[in-house]
Amino acid sequence: MKKKHFFAKIYLTFVLIMLYVPIFYLIYFSFSSGKNMNKFEHFTLAHYQTLFLDNRLLTIFLETILLAILSSLVATIIGTFGAIAISNLNKKGHKNTLLAFNNVLMVSPDVIIGASFLIFFTALGMGLNFGSVLLSHIAFSIPIVVLMVLPRLKDLDLALIDAARDLGANNFQVFTNVIIPAIMPGVFAGMFMALTYSLDDFAVTFFVTGNGFSTLSVEIYSRARQGIDLEINALSTVMFLFVLILVLIYYLMTTKKGKRGKRMLGGVVK
Amino acid sequence: MALIKLKHINKQYDDGFVALKNINLKIESGKFYSLLGPSGSGKSTILRIIAGFSHPSQGQVLFDGQDITDLDPSKRQINTVFQNYALFPHLNVFDNVAFGLKIKKMPLRKIKPAVKEALKMVRLSGFANREISELSGGQQQRVAIARAIVNQPKVLLLDESLSALDKRLRKEMQFELRAIQKKLGITFIFVTHDQEEALSMSDQIFVLNNGEIQQSGTPVDIYDEPINDFVARFIGDSNILPGRMIKDYEVEFANQRFKCADAGMRPNEKVEIVIRPEDLDITEPDQGKLVVTAQTQLFLGDHFEIKALDTDENEWLIHSTNACSLNQRLGLYFDPEDIHVMRKHESQADFDARLESYEEESNVQ
Repeated sequence: MKKKHFFAKIYLTFVLIMLYVPIFYLIYFSFSSGKNMNKFEHFTLAHYQTLFLDNRLLTIFLETILLAILSSLVATIIGTFGAIAISNLNKKGHKNTLLAFNNVLMVSPDVIIGASFLIFFTALGMGLNFGSVLLSHIAFSIPIVVLMVLPRLKDLDLALIDAARDLGANNFQVFTNVIIPAIMPGVFAGMFMALTYSLDDFAVTFFVTGNGFSTLSVEIYSRARQGIDLEINALSTVMFLFVLILVLIYYLMTTKKGKRGKRMLGGVVK
Repeated sequence: MALIKLKHINKQYDDGFVALKNINLKIESGKFYSLLGPSGSGKSTILRIIAGFSHPSQGQVLFDGQDITDLDPSKRQINTVFQNYALFPHLNVFDNVAFGLKIKKMPLRKIKPAVKEALKMVRLSGFANREISELSGGQQQRVAIARAIVNQPKVLLLDESLSALDKRLRKEMQFELRAIQKKLGITFIFVTHDQEEALSMSDQIFVLNNGEIQQSGTPVDIYDEPINDFVARFIGDSNILPGRMIKDYEVEFANQRFKCADAGMRPNEKVEIVIRPEDLDITEPDQGKLVVTAQTQLFLGDHFEIKALDTDENEWLIHSTNACSLNQRLGLYFDPEDIHVMRKHESQADFDARLESYEEESNVQ
């Protein structure tokens, strides 16, 4: 019994190390004064200095975050209403067809989605800029939100809606007072997922981004082709810390805020 | 003046299932009504039609003389206590009870005392800030009642509201519901499949089966004078035997003739007779009107349930406070009033008319 426990711990430690070693390796060399990652020379913050003086990169960093927040917000709103519409369908066949269309977008490779957006935007004669990237990010985030919200709607006790109507609520009041609070955890989960998908995305963005606009992943990719600069390491460190702080805040919100907060956000972190 | 009237209500679902057939009923102000029937009898459908969640295929719902058949539930002066309470899980007790008042845009300074009063009525003062998940089933039930009565409805509908509680709590809530109804003086319509619950709480019971009202009346009427074998079997235990009406006040069953208290039927008409097991008294075999042999015996705490066979192989169910030994010959004694005679396929109107005709007659005598 005890031995089993021991091996489980070893396994877990091993997996965690494998996952985090590359990141820490990157962070470690961000403090090296050398030009590459072959050898750690001596400690310096010079790369951070260049990073914070690199206006282009900082602009791209902020625009990437703006893009993620905007696209996840819009996708959450559209996806939530879409999920409500799907769950309100009476015919089971229609429901399944729509769900299948939704899921096809989830599983189809980013390259194909990206390429098709490129063809679509050029056919419409649209320029490739922030707008085109935003539109495509919204588009591939919507199916995720739908998938996150639908189970919540399925679990929604219909008697609650009857009860609200019984107490005098009209359709809009039922929606804001009963349905929205009940599906909120799913909506939050969908929004966070959309946010990470947007931050993560490389393939789709690569296709639809033009001259004037670029996201971090595309920018880093194009820079890396000319050989990794340790400035990228510094940027990665900053982003790692940024994400770490986000996760910590989120964790504190879900555990410390008592039952009500938990219910609002519960289910987002599984 | 009837507060609610259902006129020729029919309900057929899209798949062809007929849930209600020509339901007519009158609900008066300030009384406690029960809709009693097995599951699938249509009792909840009637409640949903009165509340407005369901629309009848045909027929009319009148409230205070106004046709409300197509009125939205939110605009009816009727509130419901749902089967599983349907409390809003994201709101605490206060906000749940205040929900209806907030929707009506009542100012908070008026809401607070109203909610306090409603919680006091259901004996939950001091629970206002609790979360719903922290409450027991009985307490949730009370919150659901408070949430409904705080809106001061004219009618409160209760949909199998006690069925999720354990037996002791259910008994307690029965008394409490009745007390609340008396105190508020509003009409309660209670849906249940538990005949004991219906008998103990109601002023008036509607017994339903297969989407039709079988019988309506006071609990005593329905227990003592069931109109057909469905009602007789559904309400309490009973011995039902085929018989023949020899003439007024004389009936034949189990190959013997007995004096009875029923009349108004054709001579020699085939009928069914009902004798309640608690009306059968066990005596010595030579003193009984019938002689039976005890087959099985169950101890049920407050009485014994004895099954016995008479010489014609009819089975008799007897409730007795004293035990007997098995295979013992027992005499059964009962009074003429204990025999209740049912005609086959008699409608409630005919039944009431017949009862009235010979009751008047016997009063004259």
